[in-house]
Amino acid sequence: MGLAVILIGIQFFQPLRNQSDEVPATHIEKVYSVPQNVNAILAQSCYDCHSNNTSYPWYSRIQPGAWYLAEHIKKGKEELNFSEFGEYSARKQRSKLRAMSGQIKDGEMPLSSYTLIHRNAILSEEDKQILMKWFGAMEDSIK
Amino acid sequence: MKNLTLSIIAVTMAFITVSCNQVSNKNEQSSNDTSDVSQEQTVSQPNGGDTIAAPGVSETPNGQQTTATEQEKKFSIAPIVTDYLSLKNALVSDNDKAAASAGKKLLATLNKVDLKAIPADKHKQYMEIADDAKEHAEHINENVGNIHHQREHLAVLGEGLKDLIELFGTTQTLYQNHCPMFNDGKGAVWFSENKEIKNPYYGSKMMTCGKVEKTITGK
Repeated sequence: MGLAVILIGIQFFQPLRNQSDEVPATHIEKVYSVPQNVNAILAQSCYDCHSNNTSYPWYSRIQPGAWYLAEHIKKGKEELNFSEFGEYSARKQRSKLRAMSGQIKDGEMPLSSYTLIHRNAILSEEDKQILMKWFGAMEDSIK
Repeated sequence: MKNLTLSIIAVTMAFITVSCNQVSNKNEQSSNDTSDVSQEQTVSQPNGGDTIAAPGVSETPNGQQTTATEQEKKFSIAPIVTDYLSLKNALVSDNDKAAASAGKKLLATLNKVDLKAIPADKHKQYMEIADDAKEHAEHINENVGNIHHQREHLAVLGEGLKDLIELFGTTQTLYQNHCPMFNDGKGAVWFSENKEIKNPYYGSKMMTCGKVEKTITGK
């Protein structure tokens, strides 16, 4: 009984949503020319946690899941935020591009806890190659 | 039913208490800003320029100012080099746990650096290197059990250290070494205190792989 009450009670406390209508000037798409196929993969598999605009599923309103999600997004954006990529120093950009490539190569990103629900975020072998190739070329091009 | 009402009240109260605390914290801080000068100093320390700009801080900071100028002449990356070397050595011996604690130590050292001691013309470059290095140190600390990942971060740290040495020199003689295989064959740099090659990127698998590219004599 007590638990049920708490569960109902916490539904009234929703975390702030990570959503924005405009693409900021510091977004990676604005700073660099991102090929369309790369952009599609990034939007599908990365932007939910690594940008200022999450596309939320309906169940994201259900607590305590919403807090869990908000925490994830917060952590994700601290590590890497594509919406703020243009604010990073050249060094940090290179370093992030290399890290992204490594994470994808090792299959650590997207997180398995995320792809468990977001099946369409799973990267195919081809997706991985496209991303790693682009990240690598970008890393070499930024001086 | 009584339980229900009680629980709702409890939950609501909990939230109100939390938010009230935050408000009162803010109040405390702002009152510190105006009334208690010495407190204000400790609060604003991580935030560089604030201390100088703050009105009425004339007594204690004068003392600090002199030490700052003394340090400016002496600014040295030696503590960073020391921590880098112990991190590097942990990875040479394939020890992910030791690497993690060395990463933590490096992070602490980077956080302790007195930014005011850095010459103004090198400040921006230092900040960029240090900000990036902090992230790598943090990740190395968080990745016990994933030594490969720790090594990837060491490779980027090595590049940062290379730039730091170019900017500020080194008091300790160091060897700049090159591992041709790491990073998908793109190669990686590392620094060592001895001339003998001990590869931190592959450890016991390929201990003697790599070569000395440069000797940087300590001054």
